Amino acid sequence: MRVVLNPVTRISGFMEIDAAIDNSIVTDARTQGMLFRGFEKMLVGRSPFDAVYFTQRICGICSTAHSVASTLALENAMGIVVSQQGRYLRDIIHGCEFLQNHIRHFYQYTAPDFIKLPEGKTLFETDHNDFRLPKQKNDQIVRHYFDSLEYSRSAHEMLAILGGKAPHNHGVFIGGITTQATPEKIEQLCSLLQNIRQFICNKMIPDAYAIADYYKEYFEIGRGYGNLLSFGCFNGYEKLGTLYVDPLTYSNGNILPLNSEEITENIHSAWYIAKSETYTPFQTIPEPDVKKSDAYSWVKAPRYRGFPFEVGPLARMWLCGEYRNGISTMDRTLARVLEAKKITDILLTLLNNLMPGISVQEEYEIPQSAYGAGLIDTTRGALGHWIKIEDSVISSYQIITPSAWNLSSRSQDDLPGPGEEAMIGTIINNTDSPVELGRIIRSFDPCVSCATHVYSEGNLIKTIQVMP
Amino acid sequence: MNQTNNSCPNFSMRLETASVLVHKAIKAVNQKSIEKRSLIWLELTGCSGNIISLLDGADPDFKSLATQMVNLIYDNSLMVSEGEAAMERLFSVIGDDYILAVEGAVSTKDNGLYNIIGRRKGQPITAYEAIKVFGEKAASVIAVGTCASDGGISAARPNPAQCVGVQNLLNRKVIKLPGCPCHPDWFMGTLAYILLFGEPELDAKQRPLMFYSSLIHDICPRRPYFDQGIFASKLGEKGCMFKLGCRGPVTRVDCSIRKWNGRVNWPIGDDSPCIGCAMFGFPDKMEPFISYGTT
Repeated sequence: MRVVLNPVTRISGFMEIDAAIDNSIVTDARTQGMLFRGFEKMLVGRSPFDAVYFTQRICGICSTAHSVASTLALENAMGIVVSQQGRYLRDIIHGCEFLQNHIRHFYQYTAPDFIKLPEGKTLFETDHNDFRLPKQKNDQIVRHYFDSLEYSRSAHEMLAILGGKAPHNHGVFIGGITTQATPEKIEQLCSLLQNIRQFICNKMIPDAYAIADYYKEYFEIGRGYGNLLSFGCFNGYEKLGTLYVDPLTYSNGNILPLNSEEITENIHSAWYIAKSETYTPFQTIPEPDVKKSDAYSWVKAPRYRGFPFEVGPLARMWLCGEYRNGISTMDRTLARVLEAKKITDILLTLLNNLMPGISVQEEYEIPQSAYGAGLIDTTRGALGHWIKIEDSVISSYQIITPSAWNLSSRSQDDLPGPGEEAMIGTIINNTDSPVELGRIIRSFDPCVSCATHVYSEGNLIKTIQVMP
Repeated sequence: MNQTNNSCPNFSMRLETASVLVHKAIKAVNQKSIEKRSLIWLELTGCSGNIISLLDGADPDFKSLATQMVNLIYDNSLMVSEGEAAMERLFSVIGDDYILAVEGAVSTKDNGLYNIIGRRKGQPITAYEAIKVFGEKAASVIAVGTCASDGGISAARPNPAQCVGVQNLLNRKVIKLPGCPCHPDWFMGTLAYILLFGEPELDAKQRPLMFYSSLIHDICPRRPYFDQGIFASKLGEKGCMFKLGCRGPVTRVDCSIRKWNGRVNWPIGDDSPCIGCAMFGFPDKMEPFISYGTT
């Protein structure tokens, strides 16, 4: 039979899961984005400087990620080398977004799959009854669900101290950030950070392990390919070296340096046309074509050396060697909460190395013609922006988001995307409420707002039906 | 230049507006002097950043909204239920009293197929259809953020998904809270006012005057620089950022006193120009966001 899940709630954006189930086992699964916005088209003809604030509006929960990637692409195009203080300031802003995101993802998006929220509130009503934690433990995590609001909010407050506001910050810009650190700001940041860190260490990490204890089979469910990739982040500082992870990949038991020249996108199963089905980011921006036959999704297929790769906190924690328990639904969640703690360590180091009163801004000139790439690991994984400038305006803008890697469609080889692969083979206990599918896909922290896909009329006729 | 102009009692009082209204509304609900009403929050074609901004509200916070002030029936980002069961909960309000909050624009291309918000009885529900069904029947409609108010960045040229603001599709009054994102105080204060007293006083563009009555430029802490002709030539300089493209002179909203995220900062306090994100016509009419030597 076929199970269609839409909306997949507690993610950012709109998504459908379409799974074929035979004898209670998922035999095929497809992930589809349900929202098209077309930012790449909108950016053409605009001022290159505007990309920084413009692309943030792709996503409300990870807007800083886009400001960082677009700034890196601009700096690359303009040949600007950023000072170390500029990098520290910018990376602190970026780190605050990791904290905001991870706290919200764990408590507001993930935890309700495993704990029962207060009854009598429509927002908190559930569709299944697979809640296994003892009442006392369950209710403690429920309290933390609400307590966490203060700490994710504090992370955005930290972000705003250097970035002006959140979501959609004004601080990240060419050269580092727009403003300067002051002793007062550094003090304020350290104080907020200590409180967030305590919450992560004393509440969030124990809560994640408590859930893991009662749902042990999720260490076996949702493995996927086990191909991991990172563009690197909080790395390669002149004085501090690498505080987190360098650009690396993992497959077949080998960790290798990333070669960004081997990144391609493929549109074989996606409703796009281009001169070639496979292209590198600078080569082409494919045109939408809703009538393309044999396509099933508007999600393109990013590939590394031709293969699907998983990106995100587990990939980073694995690649830097700090988490090697396994690759699964529960491992993704544990790696995410452990990464949150790691980020607080990194932020403390960066804050301790900040020099107040240094302006990193210049009067910048838009080049007549240039191109550049900005590759950076963000909350959800590897994010790339590729910009081309002609006649001093944007002539082409390519964005490959982390969720495009994780929710990718299939190329000529018909290999499922990482999220699809993770669902295939799963045993579904009750097909009327296939809670397993949502749990697996949420472990990737999908952001469909970012994936900017289209949905076509040609693919709408799918209801629950029994296969022969 | 980061201090609030709090020497003026009018400004400091205005900062309390949202908090006072919400606490009053919660008290009234608890005392049963007003009814606890249903709220639906629809996320349409946008970044879902307004619900994230709402979670950033501190006093009052999201918990008091969701557990004390209203019955929050539906929101895609926070709803525990999923799939058709979630859609059934959404549709259960039809025929009853409810207030509708919408974030995101409405994609109209190909009958709205560029944004499907869920599936009901196997059939896809487009954002376009949802706004028609729930917008016409709601007791009040609040457009939260610039996309819902006027299309916003989702309708930026060449407007690939043919997005429009909520008002374009509804023959009724829509209260508009533009801002990218909407400040949590603007939404919480407006909602509490509606619960307590009905519709707040609005300007000609249906923005509540309690939040949208002042021009950023008029109460900007850098206004003295402008008056004396001292202009910043690059970001980070202490001076009026008019020549860097600041849209404070045309942007009507209270960021200069309210500030963001626990009132710690705001764009101009961050040495960057206002980009007019709360203005109708954003972004196309507000660009370029940053330019050097604007005259």
